[in-house]
Amino acid sequence: MSTDVRQPVKSPTTAAADFDRPLLLTPGEDLAGWALRKLGGALLTCVALTCVLAVLFIFVFIIKEAMPLLTSGHGWELLTSMKWYPTAEPPVFGALAVIAGSAYVTIGSLIVAVPIGLLAAAFLSDIVPFGVRQVTKPIIELLAAIPSVAYGFFAVLVLAPWMQRTWGLSTGTNALNASIILAVMAIPTIVSISEDALSAVGRDLREGAYALGSTRAETLVKVVIPAAGSGILAAVILGMMRAVGETMVVWMASGNAGQVPCPWWDLGQSVRTLTATIAGEMGEAPDGSIHRHALFALGLVLLAITFGMNIASEALLARARRRSRGGKPK
Amino acid sequence: MRMLARHILDKLFTCLAGLSVVLMAAALVVILGPIVWRGAGAMLFRGTVEFRRMQLGEFHRGDTGALAAETARTDVARAKMYAALDAFSEGIRVDRLQEQAKDACRLLDAQLQNRQDTGRLSTGEARKLNRAARDLRNRLMEAFEATDKAQALQALQDVQDSPDAAALAGTAAETLVPLARRYRKIVEEVDLADRPKYAAELEKVSELVVKLFGPRAKDSVADLAQFRYGATRWDRALALQEQILWTDTWVSPGAGRALRQVRAPRAAMLPGPEMAEFFRTVRDDLPAMLQPRATFYWQYLTDNSTTGHFFGGVGPEALGTLLLTVLAMLLAVPVGVTTAAYLVECTRESHLLRVLRTCINTLAGVPSIVFGLFGLAFFVLWLLPKFGVRGVSVLAGSLTLGVLVLPVVIRASEEAIRAVPMSYKEASLALGAGGLRTFVTVTLPAALPGILTGVILAMSRAAGETAPILFTAAVAVGPWPGSPFKPCRTLSYGALDLATGDRIAPEVPHNQFGMILVLVLLVLALNVTAIVIRSRLSRKLRGG
Repeated sequence: MSTDVRQPVKSPTTAAADFDRPLLLTPGEDLAGWALRKLGGALLTCVALTCVLAVLFIFVFIIKEAMPLLTSGHGWELLTSMKWYPTAEPPVFGALAVIAGSAYVTIGSLIVAVPIGLLAAAFLSDIVPFGVRQVTKPIIELLAAIPSVAYGFFAVLVLAPWMQRTWGLSTGTNALNASIILAVMAIPTIVSISEDALSAVGRDLREGAYALGSTRAETLVKVVIPAAGSGILAAVILGMMRAVGETMVVWMASGNAGQVPCPWWDLGQSVRTLTATIAGEMGEAPDGSIHRHALFALGLVLLAITFGMNIASEALLARARRRSRGGKPK
Repeated sequence: MRMLARHILDKLFTCLAGLSVVLMAAALVVILGPIVWRGAGAMLFRGTVEFRRMQLGEFHRGDTGALAAETARTDVARAKMYAALDAFSEGIRVDRLQEQAKDACRLLDAQLQNRQDTGRLSTGEARKLNRAARDLRNRLMEAFEATDKAQALQALQDVQDSPDAAALAGTAAETLVPLARRYRKIVEEVDLADRPKYAAELEKVSELVVKLFGPRAKDSVADLAQFRYGATRWDRALALQEQILWTDTWVSPGAGRALRQVRAPRAAMLPGPEMAEFFRTVRDDLPAMLQPRATFYWQYLTDNSTTGHFFGGVGPEALGTLLLTVLAMLLAVPVGVTTAAYLVECTRESHLLRVLRTCINTLAGVPSIVFGLFGLAFFVLWLLPKFGVRGVSVLAGSLTLGVLVLPVVIRASEEAIRAVPMSYKEASLALGAGGLRTFVTVTLPAALPGILTGVILAMSRAAGETAPILFTAAVAVGPWPGSPFKPCRTLSYGALDLATGDRIAPEVPHNQFGMILVLVLLVLALNVTAIVIRSRLSRKLRGG
C-alpha cells in the first residue's frame, strides 16, 4: 500500500514478525480474522438484502392495506363494475372505468411513442456516425430527466389551453393531451433500450443482408429489427410501464372524469386513470375508511400490472441476451 | 424502375428516422421553452414603484428615503388621475352624494346642540335653522334620486335659490348649496337614466385602479398582502392598463352563429370630460405613475412567499426539496454502493444473485405512486409512529424517496465498480492487501466518478418526484422547513399546487412558472453535471 511505503518502519521486530507470517491462514490459525471476515460478509449480505426486503415490504404492506376491501365483499366488484362511487351509501368500488382510462392514455401514448422511438433508435444505431450519436444522447437523457410534474405543468398550462383554442375541443385536459405528454416521456426509455437491442445485433447479419443487395432500410426493417425483436418488445413494455405508472401528468392533464369515452375512439374526452384516482382521492379518504382501503386495492392492481410487465420485459431481455451471445432461441 | 423505388424508399426511411430525432429535440425545446421563458420572468422583470414598496413593506429590503422620494413623485403624477376619477364618481355614486348631504345635516345638529348648550342660540331659532336645513337636504335628495333631467334641475334650482341659504351660512349646512352647484354641472353633462350603468362600470374601473396603483392612503390597510400593493410588475401593469382602457363584449354576428368577442374602448361607456382626462392619464402617464425599472430579483430563490404565492419567492420550497433529497441520499448511497459492491465482489451464489437482481429490477419498475402508498402504509402509519413521529414528515418522505432511487444508485455503482480494470485489484491483492482493503483503497476510488454520476442522477430523480411525497411529506402551506419530523413544502408539490389547486395563481403566472423553472433548473443542472463527469470519465478510460 502506498501509505505503508511512505511511512518509515517503526519497529523492526514487528516488521520481521509480519514477514514471518504465513501467506495463507487457516481458520484455526487466525480465528479472529476468519470470524471478522465471516461477520463482514454477513453484514454485507444483510445490507444487500435491503432491496429484497423493500420489495417484500412493498407487497406486504400494500396487500395488508388492500385486504379489508378485498375481503369485505367489494373485492369482486373491483374488476367487474364500471361504477366508482366511493363515498355513496352504500359505496361502489368498480375500477373498470379507471383501468380503461389507464389503458386509453397508455395505448394512445404508445401509438405516438413506438414509431418515433423505433425510428430514432434505428437512426442512432445504424444511420448516423458516432459523433452525432454523442450529441443526441444528452437530448434523450434530458427528456428522461425532466421531472414528471414539469411535464404535467406544461400539459395543463401550455398544451391544454392551446388545444382548446386551436382544435375547438370542449376541454383541453383530455386523454389526447395526456397521451401526447406520456409519449414524450416514454420515448427516451424506448429509444435507449431498443438502440441497445439494435446494436447488439451483430455486424454479420447486417453485412449478410447488404451482400445480398438490400438497401439500408430493407436491412433494418427485414433483418435487424426482427433479429432484435425481443429486445425491442422489452423496450416497448418498459416504455409502457412508464406510461401506466405515471401519476402527475395524467392527474393534471387527463381531466379526471371517471368515464369511458363515447364513442370509444374519441380521445378528446376526459378520462381518469388508476394513478390519478389514487393521487386525487387519498387526501379525502380518512385513515381506516373503506375508501382508503379501496385506493390501496387500486394500488395493488397497478402493482400487479407493472410487476407482470416487469417480469415479461426481463424474460424478453434475457432471451435477447442469449440470442446475441449466439445461443439458439428456445 | 424497381431499383429506383427501393432507393427512394431507403432515402425516405432515412429522412423519417432523422425527423424522429429532430422531433425529440423539438419536444425538448417546446416543453422547456415556455417554462424557461416565462419562469425567468419571476426573477428578471421591470419592477414598478409598487414592487419596491412591497419589498420594503414585506421583506424590509430597500432604501426608505429613496422610496419616499419616489413615492412623492408618483403621487404627484397620480393626483391628476385620482382627481378626475373622484370628480366623475361624485356625480355617479348617488349613495356617496346622499351620504355627504346627510353628513352635513348631522354635523349641523351637533353644532346647533352645542350652541344651544353654551347659550349662544335660542331653542326656537335652532329649530328654525334645523327645519330649513332639512328642507334643503330633502330637496337635494330628490334631485339626486331623480332620473328625469328637468325634474332634477328644478330641484337643484330650488336649493340654490332658497332664501334659507343665507341663514345657514356659517354653519355646517352651508356645504349643501355648493353640493347642489356641483351636481348641477354633472346633471347637465350626464344622462341620468343611464346612471346605474355608469355606476356599475365605474365600480369595475375603480377595482382595476386599485389593482393597478394599490389602495390609496386614505383607504384602510388590507389584511392580505396581495391587496396592499398595486401592480408590482410592468407587464402586469400593462395588462391592467389594457383592461381599464378596453372592454370585451360579446356580440351576435347573426342568428344561429357563435357569439364573437369584440374589443371596445371603455371611454365610450363612461362619457364626460373628467373621464376623458382619466383615460388619457392612464394611457399616457403610466410610466410616471409607476416608475418601472429593470429589476433582477434574485432573492426569489430565498424569499418566503405571501399567501397564495402572490408576492415573494420559493425559499421554503427550495430548502424543503434540498432537505428531502439530501436525507434520501443519506439512506440510498451507503446501501446502494454496498449492494453494488456485494453484487460485483462477493457473491458467487447464482440463486441469491438472481433473486437480488430481480428485486432491483422490480423496485425500479414500481410506479412512483405505489411508492407513495408504500411510504404511507409503512413509514407514516407503521414504522415511524413506533418512534414517536406521527403524521407526514420529511423523514418519511425522504425514506420513501431513498427506497425509490436505490435501483438507480445500485445500477450506476455496479457498472462503475465493474469497469475498474482487473489489474488494479490484482496489483493490490498481490501486495498483500485483503479483500476489504483492496475495495476501499483501490476499487472504490477508481470507481468513484462513476458512482458519483449515479448519485447525482439519483438526486435529480429524488428532487423531481412528486407522487411519492404526496402522502408522506409534502404540504402546500406551512412554515420554513426545519425539523425532519415535520412536513415541508417542496418545489414539486408547490408547482403542482400552483398549476391546479390554487385560485389566485392564474393572476401571478410568473410565480407559477418561476416555481417549476427553479425545479427544472435544479434537476437539469444535476443532470448536466452527471453528463459532464461521465464524458470526462469515458475519455479517461479510452486513454485520452
